[in-house]
Amino acid sequence: MVQQVMVQQVGAVISEDGAGRAKGRSSLMRSPQFSSFVILIVLLVVFAVADGNFLSPLNISNMMAFLPELGIIALGMTLLLTAGEFDLSVGAVFALAPVVVMLLVQNAGIDIGVALFAGLLLCIAIGAINGVIVTKIGISSFLVTLSMLLIVRGAALYITQGFPLKSWDQPGFFVTLLAGSFNIGAFRFYTSLWWFIGLSLLAVYVLHYAKLGNWISAIGSNRNAAVARGVPADAVKIWLFVLTSVLAGLAGMISAFRISAASPVAGTGYELEVIAMVVVGGTALTGGRGTILGTIVGALMLRAIRNGIVLVGVPGLAYNIFVGVIILAMLILHALLQKNAARS
Amino acid sequence: MMQEVLRLENLQKSFGSVRALKNASLTLKEGEVVALLGDNGAGKSTLIKAISGVFPIDRGDIYVRGKKVSIRSTREAMDLGIETIHQDTSLAPDLSIARNLFLGREPVNLKWLGVFAPLDLAKLRDAASALLKRVGISKKLDANALVSTLSGGERQSIAISRAMQFAAKVIILDEPTNNLGVEETHGVLRFVKEMRAAGHSVLLITHNIHHVFEVADRIIIMRRGEIVAEQTVADTDLLTVESLITGADLSALMKRA
Ligand SMILES: Nc1ncnc2c1ncn2[C@@H]1O[C@H](COP(=O)(O)OP(=O)(O)OP(=O)(O)O)[C@@H](O)[C@H]1O
Ligand SMILES: [Mg+2]
Repeated sequence: MVQQVMVQQVGAVISEDGAGRAKGRSSLMRSPQFSSFVILIVLLVVFAVADGNFLSPLNISNMMAFLPELGIIALGMTLLLTAGEFDLSVGAVFALAPVVVMLLVQNAGIDIGVALFAGLLLCIAIGAINGVIVTKIGISSFLVTLSMLLIVRGAALYITQGFPLKSWDQPGFFVTLLAGSFNIGAFRFYTSLWWFIGLSLLAVYVLHYAKLGNWISAIGSNRNAAVARGVPADAVKIWLFVLTSVLAGLAGMISAFRISAASPVAGTGYELEVIAMVVVGGTALTGGRGTILGTIVGALMLRAIRNGIVLVGVPGLAYNIFVGVIILAMLILHALLQKNAARS
Repeated sequence: MMQEVLRLENLQKSFGSVRALKNASLTLKEGEVVALLGDNGAGKSTLIKAISGVFPIDRGDIYVRGKKVSIRSTREAMDLGIETIHQDTSLAPDLSIARNLFLGREPVNLKWLGVFAPLDLAKLRDAASALLKRVGISKKLDANALVSTLSGGERQSIAISRAMQFAAKVIILDEPTNNLGVEETHGVLRFVKEMRAAGHSVLLITHNIHHVFEVADRIIIMRRGEIVAEQTVADTDLLTVESLITGADLSALMKRA
């Protein structure tokens, strides 16, 4: 009965649609990812004007080599933050996964494919433990993943006795798959860029167009409301913790293959850098509002800042002052835009 | 003719040392509006949360259409045809009206993709707009607007439209007219009558006894976790009901005065 009425009224609704869409467009201009995008462009122009080498093929190639490694983790972190949780153990997992894989290959003589699979299982296990403790025991993700950061980093240091593993110089299928490189004109790109692009598209789809994305946003926005509608909130969160861990491990492998070495201290501080990318892009730290496009912009922005301030000649020890100031400025801007949008 | 839809037998629920529900039993028939009354903390919300699968009961049995069921999750309650509008509002503020209306039951294309299936955005928007119009308990709202931009009453209206849409067997409303203006309140009461006319059963929790006499067939009164009285609306009056809720004999007081 209700359905019939709905069908009859669809015709009448179409006239309103135009107005609805126009509204949608103006809200896009005010959306956080849009303002982040504008600021990214401004930053790129400033750096390009300040130093002619900023847009040189070599420098762009350099930036693009680093970008996917943090960017891939940021994609998982965006989904997790949107669901209202975060993960501080990603930097440690970034180190532990390749360390374990290379130990298995070099010391135990295990086939690289099998070793990679073992690394994958390890990441799944770490994510699942994070997720289960957070959701089933009800401890905040800050405390759980902070402890996990210490455990995982400690494990990486202990099993390597603190030394980087001897270099990995056997090219092969997996190395090409994760860290192969190719040239387009004067630019040199790594296959990791394809991974980043592919995973980004997938994440955009999942968060903004799939049923799962609706659930993720609802859980972060009002968990009880989502549960009352039959959304399996705990399961979704656990899988997002697993995903984030796996992506951190993948990024770690990509990095280790690219520089042909696995270090137990790799990725130190990445957790905060990744969270910065995500929130600078406009995803709310409190959950409910996430944007993958914003995260991509945020990842590009932090990469460009780190690269640009070196070229512009900021003294090395002062980098973080600039990075911090720019992040803070971005967040203030988002907060002001949010206030304005709420008022209008 | 009036078939039993829902029967609760000796439901019990404690939160630590608080016995929120002690031996609550009730029956709900087809096409019947039952009002559940009681003072603050009497256990009304606890009772309906148990039926709608928010938390498990400690003891007791639930029968749906004569068949014994165990409701372990909100999804199971929904699948049994029980739709609930909770008192502590049940919308996600960061989602649009349309997405909230279909939360948990999103229309999708390519269903075999499971949770990865793409939302049917056109259908979502159109069905949402049509529903909002049909409910008419609120001024025109854009289905794409975020719920965080709505007033409390508008949010309540959205939650009610959502329960309507899936045409559940049993509709539970926990203080649905809280925060509502005059027009919206009448919209809700009209909705309750409409649902009864269409053969649905409604369990209505409210503190407004006038509303009860306007729409309900039967009244169940709770006090401190127990069901203390049950009356048909035709055979009782406002004063009797009020005294049953508070436990004081008001009608005797009135006579004396
Ligand atoms: N999650 C909980 N944990 C602990 N105690 C609870 C919980 N939920 C309810 N209670 C307690 O159970 C009792 C019944 O609460 P309930 O919410 O069912 O009351 P109510 O009849 O809905 O009241 P109101 O009219 O104020 O909504 C109260 O004493 C309340 O404090
Ligand atoms: Mg209540």
